[in-house]
Amino acid sequence: MSVELSKQGQVLTATGLSAGYDGRPIVSGIDIQATPGKVVSIVGPNGSGKSTLLKSLVGVVRVLDGHVKIDDDDVTNLASEEVAKRGVGYVPQIDDVFPPLSVRENLEIGGYLLNRREVPSRIDAVLEFFPRLKGMMTRKAGKLSGGERKMLAMGRVLMLSPSVLVLDEPTANLAPLVATQLLEEYIRGFADHGSTVLLVEQRAKAALRISDWTYVLGGGRVVLAGAPKDLEQNPAFVESFLGGRPAAH
Amino acid sequence: MSSFGFGLITAAVLAIATVGFTMQFAVTNVLNLAYGSIMINSAFVAYYANVHGVTAWASLPFGVVTGAVASWALNRFVFTPFQRRNLAPITVVIVALGVDLIGTFGLQAIVGGSYVSYRQNTGHEYHILGMFLSGLQLIILAICAVVLVTIHWLLRYTRLGKAMRATSANPNLARNSGVKTQFIISTTWLISGALCGLAGVVFAMNNGVFEATSAQLYIVLLLAAMFLGGPGEPYGAMFGAMVIGLSTEVSAAYVNPQYKEVIAFVALLGMLTFRPYGIFGSEKTL
Repeated sequence: MSVELSKQGQVLTATGLSAGYDGRPIVSGIDIQATPGKVVSIVGPNGSGKSTLLKSLVGVVRVLDGHVKIDDDDVTNLASEEVAKRGVGYVPQIDDVFPPLSVRENLEIGGYLLNRREVPSRIDAVLEFFPRLKGMMTRKAGKLSGGERKMLAMGRVLMLSPSVLVLDEPTANLAPLVATQLLEEYIRGFADHGSTVLLVEQRAKAALRISDWTYVLGGGRVVLAGAPKDLEQNPAFVESFLGGRPAAH
Repeated sequence: MSSFGFGLITAAVLAIATVGFTMQFAVTNVLNLAYGSIMINSAFVAYYANVHGVTAWASLPFGVVTGAVASWALNRFVFTPFQRRNLAPITVVIVALGVDLIGTFGLQAIVGGSYVSYRQNTGHEYHILGMFLSGLQLIILAICAVVLVTIHWLLRYTRLGKAMRATSANPNLARNSGVKTQFIISTTWLISGALCGLAGVVFAMNNGVFEATSAQLYIVLLLAAMFLGGPGEPYGAMFGAMVIGLSTEVSAAYVNPQYKEVIAFVALLGMLTFRPYGIFGSEKTL
């Protein structure tokens, strides 16, 4: 990476975590950890609570029980803006940009916590990373294509040089080629740069390809966890998520 | 042409009011039907400053501050507690309606039902492009221009304005970006409330005489202007106010002026039927 877009990662840990809406848990008893320099992915069927889990880690959904920590700092149920201040950049699955705002304004809001003077140079750094956005700075974010929009969503969180990236299905609705580029070039790149990446991904095969560790969620609980090469040997996992038989080694 | 002149002034007053009204709706998601009552209460505070020796124009800040503080307090102590209980949006609308009635008739109970007017003269009359406009009306037009330019500058070029637009578009994402949305919402109530107070005073000045219930039907004009331009769209509000202000006054030259709110209501119904998200709004606005 030519520019310093993300910082050295911190450890993001959830222990005994239950979270949900109106006091009713969607996920419960969750123990997960994401560490610097690694891509940790969460896979699971629709409705297994993946997005709710991520939202509870970043302060969008209320944690009902358990703890969330960034290194030793307990951030359980902190407001989202406080979690952002601690270096966690969150890209939601949908509604990931501000549609009525221009691309530049989206990036400016991404850098809201920065000193005003730093914002232009940070925007330049993000544009160097996503050069495709350069030609569309005055275009409204709502008018962007799926891939451009996702780049903007990533660019928005990179404005604060996050140490932990929490990404909810970043490849949803993207063309396969763009999805592969996003996962293998950009997201893997952040981890290789030393950042912590926690990723929810519907495309299990693609997620495994870039992950160092994977959690499998089912019915709101972690039902399986392991390194991708081990999961690829697990018949139940392969049948459910990879659509085939375990790979022979 | 003279009815066009009247329409221009009505539109100017309405534009100031509607921009504040639609900003409240956009950023806070509250359709504040008590807006008219705060307008008239602000006008009365300025009026009492005026009768106690402050000149009419110098009393204007009293109305502005009243509108700002009353709107902020209304949100802080009435709307926010209801919103925190996750009740249906219609509940907050009904609460706002209740506050409007309490505000209007509470004021009437205090000040009585008599008409009053500011101690000021309307200044020289000027003949401009076939319209006869008083000095007072020209000042109202100038105030409107300054307000609209300032709001445009605020929303487009300031950090606060961009945070307001971001909060309006997606409050969760704004929070994830580090924006303290509660502060932004409170500030929006203060700014839009100040516009409400300002609109109340210039509305009363332009009317000449006013009483506690004078702004009761004003909410119809506000809703028509807001829905015409697009709910939550400040630029749409400016446009909607111009169209509604001009059409209601120009139509008054041909039909009984008492029915001018009906013209606005017809425009509102037409807009809701054929394009509920307004000229400047999008389907996602609603």
